[in-house]
Amino acid sequence: MNLILNIKAKILLKEEVVPNIFLIKLLAPLIAQEAIPGQFMHIKCSQDYYPLLRRPISIHRIDKEKGEIFILFQVVGEGTKLLSQKAIGDELDILGPLGNGFNIYPQSQKIMIVGGGIGVASLLALAEESIRQGKEVRVLIGALKRELVLGEESFRSLGAKVDIVTDDGSYKHKGLITNLLEEYIQEGWLPDQIFTCGPKPMLRKIAEIASKVNIDGQVSLEEHMGCGIGACLGCVCKIKTNLSACLPERGPVCRADTGRRSQSGNAQAEEKNNSKEEYDYKRVCVDGPVFKASEVIWDD
Amino acid sequence: MTKQPRLEVEVGGIRMKNPVMTASGTFGYGEEFSPFIDLDKLGAIVLKGITLKPKRGNPPPRIIETPSGILNAIGLQNVGVEVLINKKLPYLQKFTTPVIINISGDTLEEYVELARKLDNISQERGIAGLEINISCPNVQKGGIIWGTEAQLTYKVVNNIRKVTTLPLIVKLSPNVTDIKVIAVAAEEAGADVLSLINTLVGMAVDISLRRPKLANISGGLSGPAVKPVALWMVWQVFQTVNIPIIGMGGIMKAEDALEFIIAGARAVSIGTANLVNPKAAIEIIKGIEEYLVENKIKDINELVGSLKI
Repeated sequence: MNLILNIKAKILLKEEVVPNIFLIKLLAPLIAQEAIPGQFMHIKCSQDYYPLLRRPISIHRIDKEKGEIFILFQVVGEGTKLLSQKAIGDELDILGPLGNGFNIYPQSQKIMIVGGGIGVASLLALAEESIRQGKEVRVLIGALKRELVLGEESFRSLGAKVDIVTDDGSYKHKGLITNLLEEYIQEGWLPDQIFTCGPKPMLRKIAEIASKVNIDGQVSLEEHMGCGIGACLGCVCKIKTNLSACLPERGPVCRADTGRRSQSGNAQAEEKNNSKEEYDYKRVCVDGPVFKASEVIWDD
Repeated sequence: MTKQPRLEVEVGGIRMKNPVMTASGTFGYGEEFSPFIDLDKLGAIVLKGITLKPKRGNPPPRIIETPSGILNAIGLQNVGVEVLINKKLPYLQKFTTPVIINISGDTLEEYVELARKLDNISQERGIAGLEINISCPNVQKGGIIWGTEAQLTYKVVNNIRKVTTLPLIVKLSPNVTDIKVIAVAAEEAGADVLSLINTLVGMAVDISLRRPKLANISGGLSGPAVKPVALWMVWQVFQTVNIPIIGMGGIMKAEDALEFIIAGARAVSIGTANLVNPKAAIEIIKGIEEYLVENKIKDINELVGSLKI
């Protein structure tokens, strides 16, 4: 088991980089030593009982030399709102580093990184590490509009080739980030690995693209999370199971539904009826958050 | 130097170093917490609920937050009893802390077979007791929850009692009209200990989507929000039965645990707090000890049910 720490980390810097999205720099030498790109930290945001649970926040950047960790997060609810209200000098109660990070294969030469919206948060450390290992890195960043584009300069200053897509075309390319990815591939820039984080429809499409051209895709998933350490089984996602490789510990093998969950009926019964593919519920916190794109079942 | 207060308690034949246990479902199979705490320091460990066959569990979202609480609908996802015995229990045998297995079943036969299986290997695998989860639906009776009817409670506990000499803890559901009636049924059926409360059934709605926030629609509410309800039930049951009680429901800190002990709990279980603070149980043990020292109480057992009316 990897080393997991529960520490207090001081906020060294806080900045609202785009509206409602904050960058925080933390002094956390032990976590910085241990962390790898794609992992996350579970952060207690409230002082009291609301919200009760910690918030899983991606590790954005790791500075092992200075012992600093950066997080980039969007305010989406009560927890992240409280987190955004912390001041420089405050200490955060942190559990981490948690989860499985991205797996960069030694033999890979070309790396494609695709980040949609706040999904960019978990990818900067990955780009940095890939470049450090001498890979050629291209980054596609997607945002709703110009003001919400994240990380363009950070990725570029690392030496990655960066392209931007906005939904409304207010900056650089207009349209879908996945279309641009397909264009790249058609033009002949075929990566050895694609890493991605962002909205589910985007991840799903990228998984399809990766599968079509038969390259390794890795996706970072999120789910409502409880303990963050694999105990409560709260944060699960559907992962395909291979019967021949099925170990007893993998748990029950079941079948995936093809349709949407009914709004009124029993979700489980519904699933059994529409069975198609074999799957397990895997924990995002310890079995992920990074999964092989080809293993994920995208049905909701 | 003042003498350390005595923290040891005994519940239904299970001897514990202190009265602080971990609640089923919030502590995994124990090993998950070993990076943070010394499992030997705990009073007892109650493992994630187990069934005869592995169970897949409910679709996500399975866990959401409500004010001062969480709603969960995990759906008893577990590795099944064989994996528990062969892969999970050996790790826990390294520790001196009693290990209690929480068992569930869809049918009476499943409960009984599970209890028998665990009884058979209890020596070999170091099982200190069984906790019976009677908050599952009885599929043979149209899905009625075992623990919501006195006769059904009696039946399941009594049948398990016949196949095992292990200490039996019956975990009571709060989703009943009168918990005292169920408590008495469990006691008469041969329970050695009662643990209460399990979660309160609830739901939450996403108003923008007009959908339930949990995929399962309903879930079990736990956390500080349920503590007053749990305390009241412990106090009521304490006055009704003669067997020891394990109190639980929203215990986040030592003061909460002490409330339960004063209201009649011989031991307490830490649940939701484990999900927020993996060191919660250990901090609570320390806090209880400090309270005893401050109040010059020599033995924790003196405090049990000491509520002044």
